[in-house]
Amino acid sequence: MQVTLGCLRNAYNMVLQKFGEKLYSGLVTTMTSHLRQISQSIESAQGEIFLEELNRKWVEHNKALLMIRDILMYMDRTFVPSSRKTPVHELGLNLWRDVVIHSNKTQSRLLDTLIDLVLKERNGEVINRGLMRNLIKMLMDLGLSVYQNDFEKHFIEVSKDFYCCESQKFIESCNCGDYLKKAERRLNEEMERVSHYLDPSSESKIIKVVETEMIENHMHTLVHMENSGLVSMFVDDKYEDLERIYNLFRRVPSGLTIVKDVMTSFIRDTGKQLIMDPERLKDPVDFVQRLLDLKDKYDKAITLAFNNDKTFQNALNSAFEYFINLNARSPEFISLFVDDKLRRGLKGVGEEDVEIVLDKVMMLFRYLQEKDMFEKYYKQHLAKRLLSGKTVSDEAERSLIVKLKTECGYQFTSKLEGMFTDMKTSYDMMQGFLACHGAELGDSPTLSVQVLTTGSWPTQSSPQCNLPSEILGVCEKFRSYYLGAHSGRRLSWQANMGNADLKATFGKGQKHELNVSTYQMCVLMLFNNADRLSCKEIEQATAIPMPDLKRCLQSLALVKGKNVLRKEPMSKDIAEDDAFFFNDKFTSKLFKVKIGTVVAQRESEPENIETRQRVEEDRKPQIEAAIVRVMKSRKILEHNNIIAEVTKQLQARFLPNPVVIKKRIESLIEREFLERDKVDRKMYRYLA
Amino acid sequence: MIFADGITLLCNDIQVDPQDIVMLVLSWHMKAGTMCEFSKKEFTEGLQSLGIDSLDKFREKIPSMRSELKDEQKFREIYNFAFGWAKEKGQKSLALDTAIGMWQLLFAEKQWPLVDHWCQFLQARHNKAISRDTWSQLLEFAKTVSSNLSDYDAEGAWPYLIDEFVDYLKENGVNQHGQINDSSLN
Repeated sequence: MQVTLGCLRNAYNMVLQKFGEKLYSGLVTTMTSHLRQISQSIESAQGEIFLEELNRKWVEHNKALLMIRDILMYMDRTFVPSSRKTPVHELGLNLWRDVVIHSNKTQSRLLDTLIDLVLKERNGEVINRGLMRNLIKMLMDLGLSVYQNDFEKHFIEVSKDFYCCESQKFIESCNCGDYLKKAERRLNEEMERVSHYLDPSSESKIIKVVETEMIENHMHTLVHMENSGLVSMFVDDKYEDLERIYNLFRRVPSGLTIVKDVMTSFIRDTGKQLIMDPERLKDPVDFVQRLLDLKDKYDKAITLAFNNDKTFQNALNSAFEYFINLNARSPEFISLFVDDKLRRGLKGVGEEDVEIVLDKVMMLFRYLQEKDMFEKYYKQHLAKRLLSGKTVSDEAERSLIVKLKTECGYQFTSKLEGMFTDMKTSYDMMQGFLACHGAELGDSPTLSVQVLTTGSWPTQSSPQCNLPSEILGVCEKFRSYYLGAHSGRRLSWQANMGNADLKATFGKGQKHELNVSTYQMCVLMLFNNADRLSCKEIEQATAIPMPDLKRCLQSLALVKGKNVLRKEPMSKDIAEDDAFFFNDKFTSKLFKVKIGTVVAQRESEPENIETRQRVEEDRKPQIEAAIVRVMKSRKILEHNNIIAEVTKQLQARFLPNPVVIKKRIESLIEREFLERDKVDRKMYRYLA
Repeated sequence: MIFADGITLLCNDIQVDPQDIVMLVLSWHMKAGTMCEFSKKEFTEGLQSLGIDSLDKFREKIPSMRSELKDEQKFREIYNFAFGWAKEKGQKSLALDTAIGMWQLLFAEKQWPLVDHWCQFLQARHNKAISRDTWSQLLEFAKTVSSNLSDYDAEGAWPYLIDEFVDYLKENGVNQHGQINDSSLN
């Protein structure tokens, strides 16, 4: 249509002369019939030409509409609003929609063609994206509802079916890692498709389809896939796969919950196996190292692949807490691990690395339910380290104490600090002693004394044993020196805890230095004055308790490479009538032979039971104190609530057994601290 | 003070067996401190409160004293009284043998089907004295928990000894009639 000034003027005049109605309806009629022709030509287009023809006609129509609107501008501004008619441009679009797009043949053909192209592209073919974009934009221009009803709705439906089939096919043929890669690829592809030729409003819808069909509907299958699922990803440290599964699963509801749950139960099972494996339990240090390695492995996975997700970290922590406490010996083993590190493992290690190791130990400590058990063992092991002088670094020891104090409070560490203080005081005391009496000691054996404050140290008081005459002199000198400075105190020699260095000359003149325990020293010194002694005679001479003596004689006579004594008969057990001789024929490649062990070791079963009993006994007064505290403040409380409150109060140290709490309550009733309420027998009342 | 001999004579006079539970009821009325003894005060004031001033009246009173055991509230009072009365002076707890004797006496009246199992259990597993709380709670247990233990509440704040008793019964398969299936325990 050609625009001429004439047209404009005519149109203008028509409106002026109140022929607006005629002009408008004429426009409608003319345009409608024109569009009908166009529609037919589009319908008759063959094959690929269909879309191109549609596009071409659409472009022309738009151009024409602009011209028409310009020509009829006056009508558009005056007649149209006052008579509430559809404005010209909009009218043009509506007519295009109704006559061309919604013609029977074209409507379905357009949809089918567009969908077909999308599917082709999904199958890897190259399509004319520009053309697609134009036609999609056309639908949008005709109205959002046209786009949605004529295209998007069906596009989504078809895509659902497509991805449903594809995911089924892939699930059956791919392993988990590969499947996820494909899913990721499809997601990216769809996003790119939208950005290229669909309306942005479709993005979230199509993405949701892919997420649902490819991920959500197969979550369990993927995660549990044998040999390639989540568990094997963890086992083989497949960080890339793990990251992908995390990123994909977080898109769907409950996706991450499944990943977390599978991870948690796998860690629990792995940990449980480790904890229950009798082979592993033979070597406590190795056992704890494996625990740390397991933690490191999963920490790494969570950092590298799971975006440091807190819920996963919490799940890891709770899994560890669960299985570490399945083994009642965990507290002992962790203490032995620490002991090993502080005695030799951390030798030569830089300060920062020492801190790292200690922090890891603290992390394991936090998982323990029975922290009081740990404290007991830690104390025993620390005492041995301090007394045998076998600690790698004082700073490391103190650093750990500070960490424990920060975690558990002052009471936990006050006695431990007492031990350090005693060591220092003893050292100063020895300096003073030597300065004072050094000269007169002359040839006497060199004495080094540690004075331990009872109560700070985990010692069981040992019965007095008969020390060799050779050292009695210097021991007495020390005793009087000490008591001179501290008159109100009592000292008793702890012969079960000391050690001694002896110079020994054997048959062919070979000299060795023997590093032995105090008990061993007492026994050996007897052989300076006797060639042959029976076990019984040794017991009488030394006053060492028989069980300790037997162990002592075993270590001196029956251990290869350390047999400085000879036993007759050569049996494995020690009988009271067995005879012992100095072993002239003893040889060793080393000048210094270590026979005494004051080193922390894994407890035997009976020792373990005894320690546990002692800890349980220690817990009783703590539980009672907690009950009294709770009742004093609440005055009257129901049974289950007492259990809950007391547990809460004590759980930083240990988990009290409700049966034990009940027994303590009954004991307190007996001693008239509490009474049962007369009306409700489940309530208890505090008696002031 | 009236001691065991005197009590025997008394029982003769009122024609009551010294082991008869009504003697416990009498002691309760007298607020007697310890079994097998009455102080003068306990005896006279007790008789006064019962309105007894002759042997005949005494004999007449016996049946009504016996019937007091049927009263729930009074039975509970008498039962709880029995603990303090039966135990050794100065002791906090009641010796097991005495406790068992008292229970058998008391629960013959009250009809608790599990009394024998309870006594067997104590002799097999506990062998120590009985605390006052355990004593008084046992009555509540006998009254409120059915003998097949179907309504026993493990969170019911029962003394631990009673919890252990329940475990013992379960271990030994107590059936609905409160009879233990394991005959080796009889």
